[in-house]
Amino acid sequence: MTSGAEHLAAELEDRPPLARMGIALLALAGLLVSMYLALYKLGYMGIIQCQIGSCEKVQASQYAYFLGQPVAMWGVGAYIVLLVLALLGTQPRFARERWVALSIFGMALGGVLFSAYLTYLEAAVIRAWCQWCVISAILITLIFLLSLPGLRQAR
Amino acid sequence: MPRPAPSARRSSSLLPFYIILGIVALGGGFFLFRQASGGGGAPPAATLQPVNLTPEQMQSVAGISKGSPNAPVVIMEFADFQCPGCGRFATFYEPLVQEWIDNGTVRFVWYDYPLPELHKNAVLAARAGRCANDQNRFWQFHDHIFARQPEWSESDDAAGIFAGYMKSVGGDEAAFSQCLRSDRFLKEVSESHSFGSSLGVNGTPTLIINGKRVSDMPSTRAEWQQLIDQERGAAAPAPTAAPAAAPAAGPVAPAAAPAADSAAG
Repeated sequence: MTSGAEHLAAELEDRPPLARMGIALLALAGLLVSMYLALYKLGYMGIIQCQIGSCEKVQASQYAYFLGQPVAMWGVGAYIVLLVLALLGTQPRFARERWVALSIFGMALGGVLFSAYLTYLEAAVIRAWCQWCVISAILITLIFLLSLPGLRQAR
Repeated sequence: MPRPAPSARRSSSLLPFYIILGIVALGGGFFLFRQASGGGGAPPAATLQPVNLTPEQMQSVAGISKGSPNAPVVIMEFADFQCPGCGRFATFYEPLVQEWIDNGTVRFVWYDYPLPELHKNAVLAARAGRCANDQNRFWQFHDHIFARQPEWSESDDAAGIFAGYMKSVGGDEAAFSQCLRSDRFLKEVSESHSFGSSLGVNGTPTLIINGKRVSDMPSTRAEWQQLIDQERGAAAPAPTAAPAAAPAAGPVAPAAAPAADSAAG
């Protein structure tokens, strides 16, 4: 006979890792958004679709680069790492690993802080909005929120 | 009844998730591929929005033009020499219009719209363009400066670099440097910027074709043809096919202004 605690642990083990699934889906969406901006920035697309704001102005600014690389390329890298970590985190073997939870949380926290900085630049310095940057900021914020339960459940 | 191993159940419960993930990845990948390959399918019609453009404004603000003064299609470009998007436009898309400029269908008019809050050398570059125009070498200088944008964009000696460019395009370097050291053409550049702002320009490059702002900028020859045909009227014959990448450097903008815009200098 299993004890109550073991039963609860087994129940938790059986639950689909919804938060990690959400993070993976959001990271994939973020990856696509970043790839779109990166393709534009690297000259593979002549025109950027921008129904809201002035994406051209934001992308043409000096702040569209960070450490010598387009900001969008950093976004591509970060979202790929988050996607891989989230997919790992959906696997039973890694689901409750502390390093997975911490890595996702750390990446998401860094992303949220960087996005906050970029959003500040758009609002106060460039004085123009890029809808894709705003979408990315929303996505990384949601990822950050979804990374919090994983910290609690990690062993 | 024995419980199946959690990992086996977990794998099966993840299947719908993997399917959704795959669909999103495929859909997004398809969208990116279409965007990167020029949108796919028939060229989309450019979206045109009329702007409040009065003849008085056109007379009072100096643009720099190339093409026939009687051309039925007038394309105004508001641009910043330091903006990367303007560089891409000048390098890849503007040359596509050259054949219509050469055959008298299009007159292309440059207006400075520097963004100094973003680009430290934008105003200096705009003035340099006007100084080059003073020597009837604007369009050669325009191509030269755009082609070398990374070289001078963040330089602390952009004026010296521009003087070198002027020499390369066959201009009088000393007269150019003197022009650049003075505050000549600052007023024209400023007026050009204000003119753009009054028309609703808020980013660069912005194109206005026959008084209508172009929202979805044409990026292929077919799209340009569609737009230009639309503007000059369907009855006019199409221009003969020419190499799409014809050099942008057309006839030097004359100092004498066409009726609608006054060339700087």
